[in-house]
Amino acid sequence: MPAYREDHYELNGIDTAVLSAGDGLPLVFLHGGGTVEGFDALLPLAEHGRLIVPHHPGFGASADDPAIDSLHDYVLHYLDLFDALELDELTLIGLSLGGYLAAMLAIEQAQRVRRLVLAAPFGLHDRDHPTTDLFSVPDEEVLGYLTTDMSVFEGKVPMPPTPEFLAERYREATSLARVAWKRNYDPKLARWLHRITMPTLLVWGEDDRVVPVAQAQVWASHLPDAEIRTFPGVGHVLFAQSRAAVDAVGEFVAAEVPA
Amino acid sequence: MSVTALDEIKLYAFHHHHYIEVPEDHERYRNSMIDYSNEHFDPELGKALYDRHLRTLVRADQLGFDGIAINEHHSMVYSMSPCVSLHAARLIGLTQNAKIWVGGTPINLMYPNRVSEEYAMLDVMSGGRMEYAFPLGTGMEYWSNEGTINPTTARGRFRESLDIVLKSWTEDGPLRYDGEFYNYRYLNPWPKPFQKPHPKCFIVGTGSEETVSLAVDYGLGYSIVFVPIPNQLRAFARLRELAEERGRTVTPDDLIIVVMAYVADTDEQAVAEARPHIERFFSWFHRVTPRFLVPPGYVTTKEFLRRASDKAMAKSTEASWDDMVSIGRIACGSPETVADTIVGWCEEAGAGRVNVVLENGDMPEWKTVKSMTMFAEEVMPRIKAKLARGRGAAAPELAAAGAR
Repeated sequence: MPAYREDHYELNGIDTAVLSAGDGLPLVFLHGGGTVEGFDALLPLAEHGRLIVPHHPGFGASADDPAIDSLHDYVLHYLDLFDALELDELTLIGLSLGGYLAAMLAIEQAQRVRRLVLAAPFGLHDRDHPTTDLFSVPDEEVLGYLTTDMSVFEGKVPMPPTPEFLAERYREATSLARVAWKRNYDPKLARWLHRITMPTLLVWGEDDRVVPVAQAQVWASHLPDAEIRTFPGVGHVLFAQSRAAVDAVGEFVAAEVPA
Repeated sequence: MSVTALDEIKLYAFHHHHYIEVPEDHERYRNSMIDYSNEHFDPELGKALYDRHLRTLVRADQLGFDGIAINEHHSMVYSMSPCVSLHAARLIGLTQNAKIWVGGTPINLMYPNRVSEEYAMLDVMSGGRMEYAFPLGTGMEYWSNEGTINPTTARGRFRESLDIVLKSWTEDGPLRYDGEFYNYRYLNPWPKPFQKPHPKCFIVGTGSEETVSLAVDYGLGYSIVFVPIPNQLRAFARLRELAEERGRTVTPDDLIIVVMAYVADTDEQAVAEARPHIERFFSWFHRVTPRFLVPPGYVTTKEFLRRASDKAMAKSTEASWDDMVSIGRIACGSPETVADTIVGWCEEAGAGRVNVVLENGDMPEWKTVKSMTMFAEEVMPRIKAKLARGRGAAAPELAAAGAR
C-alpha cells in the first residue's frame, strides 16, 4: 500500500495542505465537513492514478481563512489549486460536503472533469428525505450519526475527548458554519445539475443517517449520465467503513484508463 | 490592589423576568432554554408573571432606586423578555424618576436602523430617561434565531451595527452607509434621541478583548456580566489601559457591575431565605449545555480551548453555594453586610454603578418585596453614609497637611 506525502501550497495567502499518493491521472478527493475519520481508507485508489487529497481551508492541516464564507469561495479556491497543480483534466471524488462542492465544480467546469464520484453528497433539498442538520445534533451523538461502525474512529478519537480534540472539532465546525450555518443545501442546485454531463457515480451507505440513501434517486433523476452503487449496513463516512465502496470507486475511475 | 474613592454609587434594580416555574420532572431536561419546549409555557401564569414583574419594577422607582434595568433574551425560561423595548415602553408610563436602562436587544438580531429608531423613540417618549447597553447576544441567541444570523460573523456584524446606530444618532441624515454587512441609501431615522448627543450607552460583555476595545473605540461604558470577580477586575483594568493609550478617561460612571443581593435582619436569615432560590437560578434558570453557549465561530478556537480546559466553567450548573459566593458577586446579609460588600466591590473595581438583581430564581414575591424594601430603606442610606465617611476621612488628613 502506498503512503501519502504532504505538500503545502500558498493560495491567496492560505497555507493549503495537499496529501498525494500514486501516479497517473489525477483523482482529486474533496473531504466533507470534518476530517476526523482520516484519509488512509482511500489509499487503494492510488493504484488507479495520482490520488490528491487537499484539506479545505479551515480544516485538517490547512490554515484558517475567515474570508471564505460561501461554498462558491471554495469552488474558486479549488480552481486556483487545480491551476497551481496544473490539473487541466481530473476525476473528482467528493464525500458529503465535498460531494456538494464537487458537484458545483462539475457544473461550472464540466470540461475539466472527466469523471465524477459523488459519495453521499450534501446540497440537494429533498423534503421527503431531508439531510440531517448536524449542527442540531448533540456533540456526543455526532459520531454515531457518521457511521454504523464506531471502530472506524479507533485511534482517531481520544476517549474521553481531550480539550485539544474538542477544539479542533470546534474549529472545523466553525469553518463549516461559515458556509453552511443557514442551511446545508442550495434550493437552486437541482436546476443546474443537467450541466454535469460527464459519467457520474453515486455511492452511498444504505444506513446513512446524515444524507438518506433515498436522495440517490433524486440526484440520478437530474444527472444525464449517472449510476448508483449502494452498500448495505454502511453509514455516512462510507469509505472509512467499507472497502467495497472504495473498490467501487476504483473500478469506476479505472474505466477511464486505456487498457 | 487599587481602591478608587467614589463620590456616588448609582443603584439600579435589575430584573431578569424569569418564567418562574420549575417543573417537577426538571431533572429530565438538559436545558431550560432553546430546546426546552414551549409546551411548558402557561399563558395564565405568564400574564400573572408579567404583572408581578411590572409591579416589582414600578416599586423600585417608588422606593428610590436610581434606575430600573431590564434586558432581552430569547427562547428561555430565564427571560420572558424577548422584546425589551416593549417593556421599556410600559415602564416609561408607570414610573416617574428612575432611569430606564435597557440591557439591550442584541443588535445582530435586528436591522440596526430599526434599533436606532426604537431606542430613539423610547428616549423621546421618556423625556430623556433612557440608557442603553448593547450586547453581542449570548451564544443561545444564535441557535434560536433565523439562520442568516450566523455566529461566525457575530462580532463583525455587532461592531458594524453599533457603528450604524451611533452614527444615525450623532450625524444628521440622510446618511449613506456602505458596510460589509449593511447598506443604506437613506439612513435617516425619525425620531432622533431626546438626549444629546445620545443616551448614555454601554457595551455588555464578559470582559473579552473584543468587547472591551469596542467600548473604548466608541467612547462607551462597559457593563460586565456575571463572570468571576478576578475576570471582571482584569477587564476593567484592560479598559482603563486601552482608554489611556487613546487619551480617554474612564470614570466610575462608565463601569457597571452586577450584584445578586438579598437583605434580611441578619446575615444568617438572609442566606437562609435567599440561598435555595439563588441555587435554583444556576441549576434551573441558567441550565444550558455547552453546545448552546458556544455555537460554531461564536468564539475563536483559542478561546474555545481555554474554556474547554477550564473544569470549573464546564460544570457551572453544578457549582456549590461556596463556589458561587467565592467567585461571583452575591451579597446576602444584613443591611450593614450588604452595604459594606457593595461599597467594597465598587471601590475595588472603580465602578460607580451597580445593577442589583433583587429577584433570583424561583424567589416568591414576598421575599423580593421585603428584600428590595429593606435594600432601599436600610442599605441605600448606609452606602451613601459610607461614601460620605470615605470622603470625610480624607478631609482631616488634608487639613492636617495644610496646617503643617
